Parts: sequence; C-alpha cells; structure tokens
Amino acid sequence: MKIGGNGDTLVTHALGSCLGLMVYDPVARVGGLLHAMLPLSKINPQKALENPYMFVDTGVPELFRQLYEIGGQKSRMVIKAAGCGQPLGNSEMFKIGERNYTVLKKLLWKNNLLLEAEDVGGVISRTVYFDLSNGQVMVSARGEKREL
Amino acid sequence: MKTQLVEMIRKDVGNFPGMPGAASKLLALLNNPETPITEIEAILRYEPGLTANVLRLVNSAYFGFSKKIGSVRQAILLMGWKRLAQLVVASCVSAIMDKPVAGYDLAPGDLWRHAVAVAVSAEGLAKLLKIGGVEEIFTAGLLHDVGKMVLGRFVAEHRVDMEVESYRDRSFEQIEKEIFGMDHAEVGALILANWGLPEDLVFAVQYHHEPEKTPKTLPSVDIVHVADIVTLMIGIGVGREGLQYEISREVAERLKLEAHHIERIASETLQWVHSFTESMQAE
Repeated sequence: MKIGGNGDTLVTHALGSCLGLMVYDPVARVGGLLHAMLPLSKINPQKALENPYMFVDTGVPELFRQLYEIGGQKSRMVIKAAGCGQPLGNSEMFKIGERNYTVLKKLLWKNNLLLEAEDVGGVISRTVYFDLSNGQVMVSARGEKREL
Repeated sequence: MKTQLVEMIRKDVGNFPGMPGAASKLLALLNNPETPITEIEAILRYEPGLTANVLRLVNSAYFGFSKKIGSVRQAILLMGWKRLAQLVVASCVSAIMDKPVAGYDLAPGDLWRHAVAVAVSAEGLAKLLKIGGVEEIFTAGLLHDVGKMVLGRFVAEHRVDMEVESYRDRSFEQIEKEIFGMDHAEVGALILANWGLPEDLVFAVQYHHEPEKTPKTLPSVDIVHVADIVTLMIGIGVGREGLQYEISREVAERLKLEAHHIERIASETLQWVHSFTESMQAE
C-alpha cells in the first residue's frame, strides 16, 4: 500500500489475481494505491496483523483511514479497480481474483461508495501507474498502456 | 518450418551452459543414500566460493537454524546431504537464471524470483497437504521454467503469430507447441537431461503444465503444477503471457486441493521467498 500527495506517481507491478485499488481525492489531491493479494484475512490472521494490506477486507478500510488522515474526504473519493485476473480452466478454487473483486464490491456497497472505473478479470497481468497530480490511472499489460 | 524450429531449439539447448562440475558430481551421487560425508566434503573442498554461497543459504532465515552453521560437515549432519545438494544446485543456477528473459518479457531477477517462489511454495504445499517423499520438489520448482531461457528468443520472434485472437483462450504452452513443435517445459526437460538430473525431476519439469500427460504419476509433478500457477497469480515473475495457463482438474482432485490450501500458501510465499533470497544478496 502506498499513499501520497500532489506530484507523486504511485506504481504497482504484476497484478495477477491481486486487486489493485486506486483511491483519489481531487480536491485535497491525495491518493492511495492498494495491492491486495487475497480476499479475506481469516485465512491467515497472523499475516493480517503484520500486513493488513495483503487482504481486501483489512486493506481497503486501512487505505481509506490513512487517506482521511492526510486530508481526504469520503464524499470526494474517486475509486478505480484493476487486476483480479485468473488462470484458464474455470476452476472455482483458483478464482482468487473473482473473490477479491466480490469482497471489494461488498465493502464499497456497505459504505455507499461506487467504483468509477475498472479493468478486471481475464488472464492478463497488469501494471498500474497512478498520477496523484490529477488522479489519472494508466494500466499497462502486454506492452500496451491505456487510461482507466 | 516447425521441424526447422525444433532443430534450432535443440541446437540452443546443446549450447546452454552446463551444470558446473561440483554440482553435477554431487547430483550423480544422489541415487546412493549411503554417500559418506567425506566424499561430499572432498568435492566441495576445491570450490571455496560455491561452498561459501551454499553455507549462506544454509544459514538463511528460510531454514531457521538458531545457531550459525560454519561447515559443510555440520550442514550435512543437520539437514541431510540431499538438502545440501539442493542448495548447491540453487547456488549454481542462480547466476544463470538471474538474467532477463526475452519473449516472456521478464526483467533481470524475475525468473529467479519466480523459481525460488515455486520451490518454496511447492514445499509449503506438500507440507500443508501432508504429502511426503517429495525430496526432489524443491529442485523441480527451482528449475521448472529454465526452458524459457532458451525458448524466449523464439517467442520474441513469433510474438505476432502467438498473440492472435484465435489463441486467446488456449493455454500458452499449447501455443508454443503449435508454433515451435515444443513448449518451454519440454525444452527445460531437455536441459535437465543434459545436466544428468534424475528422471523424476525431469518429469516434474516436463509436465508442469500438462500433469495429466506424465508417464509416471508423481506428487511432485502435481504440486509443481499448482505452485507454479499460484505463484503467477500472486505476481511473482509473471511474464507477458500473464495467467494464460490452464489448471488441471485431475490434479486438483488427486491432491484433494481446496481453496483455503491455495490461499494459505499464497499468503506465506512472499515471506518464504524473502527469507531464502535475503541471504544471497551480495555482502
């Protein structure tokens, strides 16, 4: 998890089935980028204590909490998601990406928040560049870069 | 054209670096469980650099010994010489596998980190599923993608043919086979066979994407298959082809695999990789 202010660019590489969550307050010009690997912290509570950002259910609230601390306001937050891919073969147990996305949606819905944009699913691995001067998110995969 | 490509690939396999002398001598002893410590000491005595690297790995946090291990003898007594031989192989191949890989777009160090991640997560998964007798699994994990180092330049040259729409839902190794007549797993197996590695190890590498085709059902084949996909999913050494590999249902059933096993292993892998590779950083 990385947070920052005006002028910073946050980057996270190789989002396979992991969730990349980009949250931006365009007025305060602060933002945060979460790279969460797994949906629920109950799979490894010890790890969640050491690193809450590993899990969607503990990482997302912590990201928002930290953004509030540096001046972000809930009503202004622009939220985008990327990643959550999965391998071929349609095996339920390997749908970690889909489970990450579901837990995120539930959390946002409970808190009356909506996703502004998303680039999720499929077999591709994505890299995210998050420009905190204007909130622009670029997603690159397979040598192509596009704005989210 | 395919035959021509296969010929070219085989030629590159022939030119691929050999396993350094000390490692191949040690590996040749693998089939004899009664190998005396003095014989192993004698092989390593003339390789002070390698011995130092191996002892660094022995003392890594991954193995968690409370006291510092200062000699080959002590290491063998504590962890067994087969374990020591694995670390000799790891030390020898780390320099080769640290390089960038074209085609799959792996940056310097990516393939090596992926290799270590599959080795440690495969061991972790075997332990979690209480599957024993898989001593070769660490080395199999470490070497499973070595074929990418040869096939990479061919993948780079044929990118346009490989990324067409009609291949979008095909497992990447099948596309490799269709275009080159051989996939990176088979290329890896050829390299390992040239190095004189044991057959079970070669199978675990050769069938890591098609475990149902192995001529011999081995838990190490199944576990490396799963560990590889989990490691790609969590983004360690994932290449341009991303997660374009297919999970074998047969393997999931055979291992009685459940979602919580996969998630548990995923949650630990980064830490295991760190505890192993930390000791290898130059001092």
